[in-house]
Amino acid sequence: MGRWLLARLGRAAVAAWLIASLVFIGSRLVGGGPEQLALSDATDLSRPTGGGRTLARQQAAEQAVRHRLGLDLPLFYFSRTARPPVQWQWHGPANQYHRWVAGLLRGDLGYSYRDGQPVGTLLGQAVAYSLPLTGSAALLAVGLALGLGLYLAPGPAGWRRRLLLGLLAGWQVTPLFLLALGLLLLFANPDFLNILPGSGQAPEAASSVELVGYWLARSALPLLSLVLAVLPELTLPLAALLRHELKAGYATTARAKGLTAAQVLRRHALPNALLPLVTTLTDLLPTLVAGTVVVEVLFGLPGGGRLLAEAAAAHDYPVVVAAVLLSAAARLLGLVVADVLYFLADPRLRPSA
Amino acid sequence: MKIAWPSFGAQPAFWLALGWLLLLAAVALLAPWLPLPYPAATPDLLHVSEPPRWPAAGPAHYFGTDPLGRDVLAGLVAGARRLLLLSLPAALLATGAGALAGTAAGYWGNQHLRLPLAAATGALGVAWWALALPGILLAYILLASTLVLMLLTRWPLPAAWLRRHSLAFPLDALVLGVATLLGAVPRLVLLVALAAGPPPSHWQLLALLTLLAWPGTARLVRGQMLQVRVQPFIAAAQASGLPPARIWWRHALPHASRPLLAYAPLSLAGLIGLESALAFIGLGQGPEVVSWGSLLATVRQDPAAWWVAAGPGLALFCTLLALQKVAKTGEKDR
Repeated sequence: MGRWLLARLGRAAVAAWLIASLVFIGSRLVGGGPEQLALSDATDLSRPTGGGRTLARQQAAEQAVRHRLGLDLPLFYFSRTARPPVQWQWHGPANQYHRWVAGLLRGDLGYSYRDGQPVGTLLGQAVAYSLPLTGSAALLAVGLALGLGLYLAPGPAGWRRRLLLGLLAGWQVTPLFLLALGLLLLFANPDFLNILPGSGQAPEAASSVELVGYWLARSALPLLSLVLAVLPELTLPLAALLRHELKAGYATTARAKGLTAAQVLRRHALPNALLPLVTTLTDLLPTLVAGTVVVEVLFGLPGGGRLLAEAAAAHDYPVVVAAVLLSAAARLLGLVVADVLYFLADPRLRPSA
Repeated sequence: MKIAWPSFGAQPAFWLALGWLLLLAAVALLAPWLPLPYPAATPDLLHVSEPPRWPAAGPAHYFGTDPLGRDVLAGLVAGARRLLLLSLPAALLATGAGALAGTAAGYWGNQHLRLPLAAATGALGVAWWALALPGILLAYILLASTLVLMLLTRWPLPAAWLRRHSLAFPLDALVLGVATLLGAVPRLVLLVALAAGPPPSHWQLLALLTLLAWPGTARLVRGQMLQVRVQPFIAAAQASGLPPARIWWRHALPHASRPLLAYAPLSLAGLIGLESALAFIGLGQGPEVVSWGSLLATVRQDPAAWWVAAGPGLALFCTLLALQKVAKTGEKDR
């Protein structure tokens, strides 16, 4: 069990590192971002006074920015000349990739191209907001899915269960952004129901308690959209599995010895039905992480998803690469949680000695 | 593959869904010739956020305009065309590539695709020469040894030795490894990160969506192939002396691809959702491209303009629901 978990985690970690490396190298190959970005402020400021800005000076300034950001170094350990006398050059550790990896190992994620802040700080602030949102969404969704699954297990008899099943099937295909937009237009619309704050600025000069209350109200709709978006994927398979388990022989035996339907469902069918569901749980965290990108952009929340989207729009590659690494870490965490849950849910997997 | 079409009486919802999808495809195909009063991407700044109007005469914004002044009806048609030209080809390509890679990985596994030594040295030599790696002499040695190995097969003794000492190509590990690599990050996050450069062209976006979508199909079909591979009819085909590639292509692949009848519509629905979400966030396309996602995004500037959200939102929802219905029917058809 332990070795298997380690091997799985190792593979996932290697995949995460590889994909982040690919995104890093790809972003550096595309180029055309940072020096223009860093220079645009300077040019805007100097335009009224320094009218005689020559091309040479512009290029020199770009070169200086590239040097400051370490972009004048070779990209990788070796390179190949593009023109006909093809040659391979070995650059040694003085290259951008090596510096990135070395910084990463020291916990240094680099500096944002946009405002020069350390990416770690930016990401930390954003995650401090996103993590409670994602975590509570995951817990709420799992809890609700358990309740709904147990309720729906006896089968689609009765109009309430039928309606719920239909609704869940409809939700299942609705993309998160459509769901969230619908909620926003329904409940945070000045022209319709304006119950919850959807976007905008935090109230000025409020006390800390008020501020917390405000952010809780702000987070209600995003939380609701995240939960609703992942609920069908969890509930429908659970209900189907429970229905399948209730038809099994041991359920009949349990009923025959006089247990109530609820007892059979909870004590006997549920533990067996939970096992395949754990696989779905592995995908839950990545889905929620992808969901935060949409939800935080839509509701204007200062979280990691919005940071990624804005960084991508502004070609702020260090932030983008760090966000990719972070979401890969979320998937690793999902794997660990799922394996631990497997362990708890299935006594057969526990080491006997 | 024979597809058993359900009758209309038995499955009216399926035919309704198919009808909607066909209507969408027809509108998208005929978009350049439809008599639309306004182009999709050009804002009409005199009529911003205008509600739908149905006057008797003259061109009008029948479905209203969005807060940027773009005609919603024209945007709907342009969005349908984008589905037909971007999401559908991407889903088809991904399904095809995933089916090929997944069945090949499942059929041959890590051990059964054996390459002769000559192929390995030959490929290595050609690659060395083409990349002009240092020590070009090694490339010539590799190519020469390829020739020698090919010549050796003329004599029975070395040929038998060569047949025994062939190289196993780890196809399964390769396919699964690439799929794991692409699955290490949620698809939307990866797509957003890859769209961080200059706005990708239509073909680049198509390639990106295909790249993100094929691993799902490949995993499904690979699992199916592991079951098909041990069926008696495969053993019979092997016993009758058919070449492995032919067994894979003619006998195993059609069987293992059967679940794709249900999975391909779902994969298309997923891609449509992904592409719309990307457009909704406002990434991955120039400002001149109109899609349902980008049209929906504008409603945030004017929440009172319900008509901007209703049209594209309903169209998107109906399309995805129709695809789910088609997928469910395909599942029962198996």
